[in-house]
Amino acid sequence: MSYQARSGRMGQLVSIGLLNMPLIIITLLLGLIGVMVLYSVAGGDFSPWAWRHASRLAVGLVLMYAIANLDLRTIFNFAYPIYGAIFLLLVAVQIFGDSGMGAQRWLDLGFVTVQPSEFMRFALIMALARYYHTLHRDDVSQPIGLLAPIALIGIPALMVFAQPDLGTALMLAASGVGVVFLAGVSMRYFIAGIALAIAAVPVVWNYLFEYQKERVLVFLDPERDPLGAGYHIIQSKIGIGSGGLFGKGIAQGTQSQLKFLPERHTDFVFAIYAEELGFIGSLMLIFLFVVMIFLMFTIAAQMRHRFSQLTIAGFAFALSIYVIVNLAMVMGLAPVVGVPLPFISYGGTSLLTFMVGLGVVLSVERQPMADLPK
Amino acid sequence: MSIYDTEGQDFSRRLLILGGLQGGLFLVLAGRLQFLQVARSDVYANLAEANRVNISQISAVRGRITDRSGKLLADNDRNLQIRLVPERVANMDATLNDLARLLNLSQAEIYEIRRKIRRVPSFKPVVVLEDLSWDAFSALNLNLPYLSGIEPLVGQKRVYPHAQSVAHLVGFVGTKTREDLQRVNDIVGDYVGRSGVERDFERDLRGTPGVRHVEVNAIGRTVRELQSEPGEKGRDLALSIDLDLQNFAAERMKGHSGSAMVMDIHNGEMVSMVSAPSFDLNKLSRGIQVEEWEQLIDHERKPLVNKAMRGLYAPGSTFKMLVALAALEDKLIDPEEKITCSGVYNFAREEFNCWTSKGHGPVNMIDALERSCDIYFYDLALRVGIDRIEAMARRFGFGKLTGIDLDGEKGGTVPGRDWKRANYDSGWRSGETIITAIGQGYLLATPLQLAVMTAALANGGKLLQPRITKANDTVEPVAELGLKPENMAVVQRGMYRSVNRPDGTAYASSLLIDGARMSGKTGTVQVRRISKDERLNGVIPNSKLDWHLRDHSLFVGYVPHNNPRFAISVVIEHGGGGAQVAAPIARDIMVQLLKNKNITAAPKLVAAKKVRAKS
Repeated sequence: MSYQARSGRMGQLVSIGLLNMPLIIITLLLGLIGVMVLYSVAGGDFSPWAWRHASRLAVGLVLMYAIANLDLRTIFNFAYPIYGAIFLLLVAVQIFGDSGMGAQRWLDLGFVTVQPSEFMRFALIMALARYYHTLHRDDVSQPIGLLAPIALIGIPALMVFAQPDLGTALMLAASGVGVVFLAGVSMRYFIAGIALAIAAVPVVWNYLFEYQKERVLVFLDPERDPLGAGYHIIQSKIGIGSGGLFGKGIAQGTQSQLKFLPERHTDFVFAIYAEELGFIGSLMLIFLFVVMIFLMFTIAAQMRHRFSQLTIAGFAFALSIYVIVNLAMVMGLAPVVGVPLPFISYGGTSLLTFMVGLGVVLSVERQPMADLPK
Repeated sequence: MSIYDTEGQDFSRRLLILGGLQGGLFLVLAGRLQFLQVARSDVYANLAEANRVNISQISAVRGRITDRSGKLLADNDRNLQIRLVPERVANMDATLNDLARLLNLSQAEIYEIRRKIRRVPSFKPVVVLEDLSWDAFSALNLNLPYLSGIEPLVGQKRVYPHAQSVAHLVGFVGTKTREDLQRVNDIVGDYVGRSGVERDFERDLRGTPGVRHVEVNAIGRTVRELQSEPGEKGRDLALSIDLDLQNFAAERMKGHSGSAMVMDIHNGEMVSMVSAPSFDLNKLSRGIQVEEWEQLIDHERKPLVNKAMRGLYAPGSTFKMLVALAALEDKLIDPEEKITCSGVYNFAREEFNCWTSKGHGPVNMIDALERSCDIYFYDLALRVGIDRIEAMARRFGFGKLTGIDLDGEKGGTVPGRDWKRANYDSGWRSGETIITAIGQGYLLATPLQLAVMTAALANGGKLLQPRITKANDTVEPVAELGLKPENMAVVQRGMYRSVNRPDGTAYASSLLIDGARMSGKTGTVQVRRISKDERLNGVIPNSKLDWHLRDHSLFVGYVPHNNPRFAISVVIEHGGGGAQVAAPIARDIMVQLLKNKNITAAPKLVAAKKVRAKS
């Protein structure tokens, strides 16, 4: 398949057949699993969640296709401006944001409320990829070369942390650090960074809000508050565990149908899935995610441009930490930090950002040979 | 190109590291999934089932308490309650404000509701208000659509139609606490007995709770009922008391502090048992304010204490019968022998006074009982000695519990040589024998013990276990005292004359109904020391003393004199002379009793053995 064939002609939409079909199919499968679980959570009803999830999935697919049509150079050129624009949105949230659930996360644009912190994740990955694309290789591990990435990651992460949204802030920082790692920054920095992070734990602890501290403490000992914060973890584990090998069947999970699981349509959606589809179904879901990430890593390895490598691998890495942290949280292996399960959890921003990100990946993957300025 | 190559290799290596890390984490997740869903699946399946099925107990209707003829003493009534499910209340402040406006609640009541709400998890319903009036309840129901999370509920409450007169016997109930659940391991129902019969017969009264298995959702709302076993109503309990007599006695005791009781001398049934002053059972069952409770606790006349079995008093002259019996049984005196009373008795350079300074002159045993001569008994005491007096007191049940079927009675004190040694570490002195003989000094007994003693004197020497619940079968006495009938006759004669002869101390309280007369004995117990100066200048009359310094007034007796059936014991704290206060009360109660066919016409259970019907 030649470069020419996959880029299509100017002014025309590329044929869907020119895009990476396995990625699209897995995305679609995951989205449909989301629709199914949300249908089940509502007691076998498309309202209130499944129908809207399905329509968002449809919008997401169109958006994904549209972005996949973009020229690589356009994406490259817009990497910084997009980062800047979303950074301004974050500032706007800080000033005008709507407080939902005690945290300023949403920005009401009139027709849609968005959570800029979610969009920031991919803007950050692209901005960092652009940065390392241009940076001379000798400077990658120089302290001077690290200043910009630290600022690019640190400032938005701190702003999100201040909203306060610890989970998203950590995810954002981790996604950025992943790109920095992939860019080949000396291991010394990461070892030092990990040491520093461990040393900073007591300091950060003091800055955490009471509910955040409580979540960590409850994670360490859910029985500490079985009716309060520990309730999530306990009920979630009961849901998963009682599913057994084959599950209780769609819309048959007592934990979900009798509403023992809070936030069962958002962050804890996997517990419902696992309860109703069992160990086999759960492994299949995890397998889908693993295949998706593996595919993107192999694509990234085949890329020629640094920008392309880092954008695709960075996105894959961000996706993987979302999946891992969410599953670990739901299975009681990590504190409850409010991280959705990509493509499956109900929530417009989460679904759309991941699909937009995939659109970028598809576009980049389609144009391995396009010329990019050094 | 070489630069690109190393760069490419470097990137691939980093990808590999990151990929390996992720792969490892995914493996951990899969392992965890295996642990939860395969290895421990059955554990979690059980937990899910427990989550789903809510086993709730349906409280059994509490048994009612009646008097001997079925008149209600404790009943159940409708209790209009309001429950609140905190989780379902959209705006707590607004809802509580609405409630306050609707039901005219004070700030303090709202505060109390908030406190109750805070104590339970937010999905659990809390009874925030109960005992509402019908008007308030219907006003609430009318406004229900505007009050999210509020549920009206018709529950049960305990009511006491005669809240004052039977207060100490029936007792009151309260809502169960954590401690109650430990005391009776499976208490169910809104209420648990806190005192009296309500507490002591808790197991009978509360019945067997039903069980309801319901499928619930996370907020505890019932989705559907799975299965239910109806409970069993608590057993109704009949007390031995007669409500009319009890009410009369309680009314008669108004203004006094003390107790009065009537006991069936054949089966030990308490036909009446009053402790005064009393309190309101209904108030205590619903929960009273702290200040009101403290007032009851701190009250000088101790309204909460059942003085009939928890009050300890020196028996005074009512004890003289036992001293006389102790002497007669061991033939230490001829009942006809006369001892001269001059009003003062000198022993070991001490003066012991008779209650009347004029003296009684020469008196024999029957005269001494009739006129309650102290000097006769001082002299007799020294002949009998403390050991025999102590033994006789113990035979009549002093110094130990009577075994009545109510918790909390006291045993009292019977002094003696060993007792003195153990408690005062000194030897017994003869002067102490003298005052013990007139029922003063260390001797302490409950009015209930006096009633049991009097019953034994009246029934020819059978010591009975008193009971507050109606006797259903023949009652065996605790002990046959084995006293000689001729000796019993002497004492009974003295008691008869004490009430029915003009010289008797209780002559003013004699009665005659259908040929039945009362026999008895007065007692006056000094609670202060009278100095020699005071005796010379004239003893200050009770009416001029502070209440707590006045004498205790006692009377024990039985009716009818010739064919005894009921014994009475009246103790009025600081009432004054036994003849002036306690005896007239005893007479009035006995008159009422003898006129009451409900009681007198009942067959003597000890005589007529019940034959159980065979089916």
